[in-house]
Amino acid sequence: MPRNAKSHNGPVLSLREIAIAAGGKRLIDGLTLDLHSAELLSVCGPSGCGKSTLLRAIAGLVSPTEGLVLLQGSEPRAIGWPVFRRRVVLVSQRPVLFDDTVRENLARPFTYRYAPSQFPDTAALALLERLGIEPERWKQNALSLSTGQQQRVCVVRALLLRPDVLLLDEPSSALDEQSAAALEDTISRWVREEGGSAILVSHDRYQVARWCDREVDLRDFRAEQN
Amino acid sequence: MDGGTIELGMADLLIATLLVAVAGGVSLALRLGLERRLALAAVRTVVQLYIIGFVLKWVFQVDTPWALVPVIAVMILVAAREAVNRAARRYPRAMLDTFVTLVLCGLLSTLMVTQAVIRVDPWYKPQYVIPLLGMILGNGLTGISLCIDILLERFSEHQTLVEMELAHGATRWEAARGVLREAVRRGMIPIINSMMVVGLVSLPGMMTGQILAGNPPMQAVKYQIVVMFMIAAATSLGCIGTALLAYRRLFNADHQLQSELITKMKRP
Repeated sequence: MPRNAKSHNGPVLSLREIAIAAGGKRLIDGLTLDLHSAELLSVCGPSGCGKSTLLRAIAGLVSPTEGLVLLQGSEPRAIGWPVFRRRVVLVSQRPVLFDDTVRENLARPFTYRYAPSQFPDTAALALLERLGIEPERWKQNALSLSTGQQQRVCVVRALLLRPDVLLLDEPSSALDEQSAAALEDTISRWVREEGGSAILVSHDRYQVARWCDREVDLRDFRAEQN
Repeated sequence: MDGGTIELGMADLLIATLLVAVAGGVSLALRLGLERRLALAAVRTVVQLYIIGFVLKWVFQVDTPWALVPVIAVMILVAAREAVNRAARRYPRAMLDTFVTLVLCGLLSTLMVTQAVIRVDPWYKPQYVIPLLGMILGNGLTGISLCIDILLERFSEHQTLVEMELAHGATRWEAARGVLREAVRRGMIPIINSMMVVGLVSLPGMMTGQILAGNPPMQAVKYQIVVMFMIAAATSLGCIGTALLAYRRLFNADHQLQSELITKMKRP
C-alpha cells in the first residue's frame, strides 16, 4: 500500500492555480486539478505546450511561476522535498540510468537518507520479469540495454519506491506494442492493487483512451499570449 | 643569501631578450601568427616583474605588517580572477567564492608554514610571507580552476543524471556529492603529479632560486619539501572550499539544481 494513501480521504495530489513558464514564455496559467487515489489521469496538448515542464514542476525539479502543489493537502516544503519526490516520482521520457548494472541502478534510490526501506531484490526481479526483461539482465550494464528496455527499467525503479503518485512522461515512446501492453498492465495492476495514481503524458491517443480515467487538455489553461 | 649571486646588469637583460627573439623567429618562420602576442607577453613580463620588484623593495624597507595587506589582497584578487577565467564555464559570484577560498586556504597555509615550520621573526617577514603565498596561489589557482571546470561541466552536461537522483528522493547533497568528489579529485591531480616527479624531472622554482643564490642544496631541498606539502594542503583545501561554495550557489533550499545559472565563457 502506498504510504498514507488510505488514511487520507481527499485527493492524493492537488494542483492549485499553477502557472508555468519556460524560456521566458508563459505556457500554462491557472491550472487547478485534483488527482485521487487509484486514478490515472492523462495530460494532453500540442507539442511545446508545457506538458513535460508541468510534470517537472509537479516533481519540484523546477518551480512553477505561480500556484501550489499539495500532496494529501500538505505543501512539499512541509513534508520535505526529498520525501515528497520519493512519494511523487517522475519518470522522464528519455531513460536516465547510471553506467552500472541494472541492479545497482534499481537499488540506488534505496541508498538515500529518506529511502522507504531496504532494497527489495525479489520484488525488483519480479517487476522486471513482468515487464519482459529477463532475469539475466540483472547483472548487465544498464546502458547496454536497448532504449525500450532502459525505459522499462526506469519504470521499475520508480515503482519499487512504492510512490503515491507516478508522473509518466511518454513512458512507452520507445516500446513495441507487446512491451507497451505489459507496461500498461503493470501500471494498471499497481493502480488497482495498491491504490497508486498516475499522471500520464502520452501522444498515443489510443493508449490514453483505453488506459486513463480522465483527460486534461492543457489548451484549456493556455496562458494569454502577449 | 650572501655569497654566490652574480649581479645582472641592463646589458645582460638585453642579451636575454635575444632568447625571446628566437621564439619570435620560430613563430615567423612557421607562420604561427604569435609574434604580437609573444611581444606583448614579453613586455608584460618585464613590466609586471619590475613593478613587483619595486613593490617588494618598498615592502621590505618599510618593515610593517600593514604594508603586506595591499600586496596580499592584490595577489589573491588576481589569482581568484585567473582561476575563474581559466574554467570554461562560470556561475554568478564564482569570483567571490574563489576569492574567499583563496584567502582562507592561502593565509592559513602560509601562516602555518611561516609560524610553525620556519618560525620567521618578525612573524610577518615579507621576504618569506610573499614568496610562499605566491607559490600557494600559483598552484592553488591551477587546482581550483580545474575543480570549477569539471564541476560546472558535470552539473550542466549531466544535469539529467543529477535531476534523476533528486526525482527519486535524493537530497541535494546526495545528488551532488559524486560530482563534487570528482571535481575535487581532478583539482588535486596536478599537485600530486608534480610531487611524484619533483627532483627527477625538474627542479622547482624555489629550489632553483635558492641554489642560484648560493645556498647549500640540502637546505634548498628541505625548503622545497615544506613548500610542496604546503601547496598540497592549500590546493586540497582550496578545491574542497570552492566545490562546497559552488554547490551552495547551484542548489537551492528546495533541492533543485539551478543549472541555468551556469554560463559558458566566451573565448576570445
